[in-house]
Amino acid sequence: MNNYIELLSQFISTDFKLRYKNSYLGIVWIILKPLALFGVIYLIWSNIFHMDESYKMGLLLGIIIMNTFSEAVLMGLTSLMSKAGIILKIKFPREIVVFSAVSISFLDFFFNMLVFVIFSIFTPINTTLVGFLLYFLCVLSVFVLTLGLGQFLSVIFIKLRDIHNLMIVILQLIFWMTPIYYTLEMLPPDLQKYIKLNPLTLVVTYARKGLISGDTVRVEDFYQIGTVLLVCFAVFLLGNMFFRSKVSKIAEYF
Amino acid sequence: MDNKPAIQIKNVRKSFFLPHEKHDTFIEYATNPMRLFRRSGEQYDVLKDIDLEIYPGEFVGIMGRNGSGKSTLLKIMAGIYEPTSGKVKVNGSMVPFLELGVGFNPELTGRENVYLNGIILGMKKNMLKEKYEEIVDFAELEKFMDMPLKNFSSGMQVRLAFSIAIMADADIYILDEVLAVGDVAFQEKCFDIFRKYKSDGKTVILVTHSPGSVKQFCDRAVFLKDGVLHYYNTIDEVTQAYING
Repeated sequence: MNNYIELLSQFISTDFKLRYKNSYLGIVWIILKPLALFGVIYLIWSNIFHMDESYKMGLLLGIIIMNTFSEAVLMGLTSLMSKAGIILKIKFPREIVVFSAVSISFLDFFFNMLVFVIFSIFTPINTTLVGFLLYFLCVLSVFVLTLGLGQFLSVIFIKLRDIHNLMIVILQLIFWMTPIYYTLEMLPPDLQKYIKLNPLTLVVTYARKGLISGDTVRVEDFYQIGTVLLVCFAVFLLGNMFFRSKVSKIAEYF
Repeated sequence: MDNKPAIQIKNVRKSFFLPHEKHDTFIEYATNPMRLFRRSGEQYDVLKDIDLEIYPGEFVGIMGRNGSGKSTLLKIMAGIYEPTSGKVKVNGSMVPFLELGVGFNPELTGRENVYLNGIILGMKKNMLKEKYEEIVDFAELEKFMDMPLKNFSSGMQVRLAFSIAIMADADIYILDEVLAVGDVAFQEKCFDIFRKYKSDGKTVILVTHSPGSVKQFCDRAVFLKDGVLHYYNTIDEVTQAYING
């Protein structure tokens, strides 16, 4: 068990370090990249479209969450394959590979949120302790969900390489099925129903509510996000069952 | 120690599916949808009915030509492949060295690779910190440890990998042709390690093409040919069988 944690943290730190090897700015990119990216978005929406303050911060938060989701799903998907060299040579709990890949995306998420905090100096947000808790549960849901999806997809990817391209398209579809650039209210009511079925819609909505307008958080919001979290845990458990049943035979398909 | 086998392999068969047409594209499926259900290919038995018991403290050599199934057998022992049928039971902790330097990354420094590889082999980080100097001394690479591994010569990489590997503490070691390492002086060091395993009463499975090392270290040897194990009474007979093919 002790080695389980050590191996997990070793994979995380190694793969994280490797990303910034051989670049001049190195680790600075962790902050610089989101800072520049969000700066572009922020400037466009303040100067060209003149959107109000809460829209801009909500947009940034939505983009951060959805990018993390996409990144985590794709990292999880390729995780087994990218560690094939090690998997073929030594026995260890294979799910570590998926967990470390997904965790790296959430490390990125953490640094993106630091940048979000920097932007909130210019555009103040209004969060409360309860609001932050709601936001935290939203992030946890995405984490658990991507861990589950990662376990499914990583196994399927070994046998069916097409799933990678397919997922890129699906993730793009999911992005536009989630109110990031638009708000739910802009849509016709019958379309809203379908968009609300997307759990990420709820995640993004409540994350915004908790972090940007914390004083409007109600107890009912927690029931809603609690349900989402339960669904995500169910996906995780199913993914884990699938992973366990298939992974012992995976080595010979690389 | 009791007489429970360290490794018990019973009626193990391993077959792989060898597809005849490697590339099945969508167009091919679309023009002939039945292909989806009838994939042409054959089951190929790499290992047929393997029975082998290895007892604690034994130093067992496995010899066989290329493609005879040695690596597959080792991977089954190491738990990387599942046997198609039959059973494998392992009693005690095991470290397989199917390759030296598992997980080594050319972009990382020698030092970083020591920790990466060590932890993959199941060692504790604290233990690696303690043994770090010893590892570097053994590999004779003091000056190079903060250089990226890609700047190491292949001999240096293998030396580093071997020096980490020998720090692994287990009851059972699986060694796949790792004897052919480095220059003569370094090889002698490696042989010392094997002698140490032997005197410590470790169980070792050694796959090698060198009759000399089998004779020198092994208590017992088996000969694997086309997925079938051949047993002989003496090591000389095994090496002879290997030489005769």
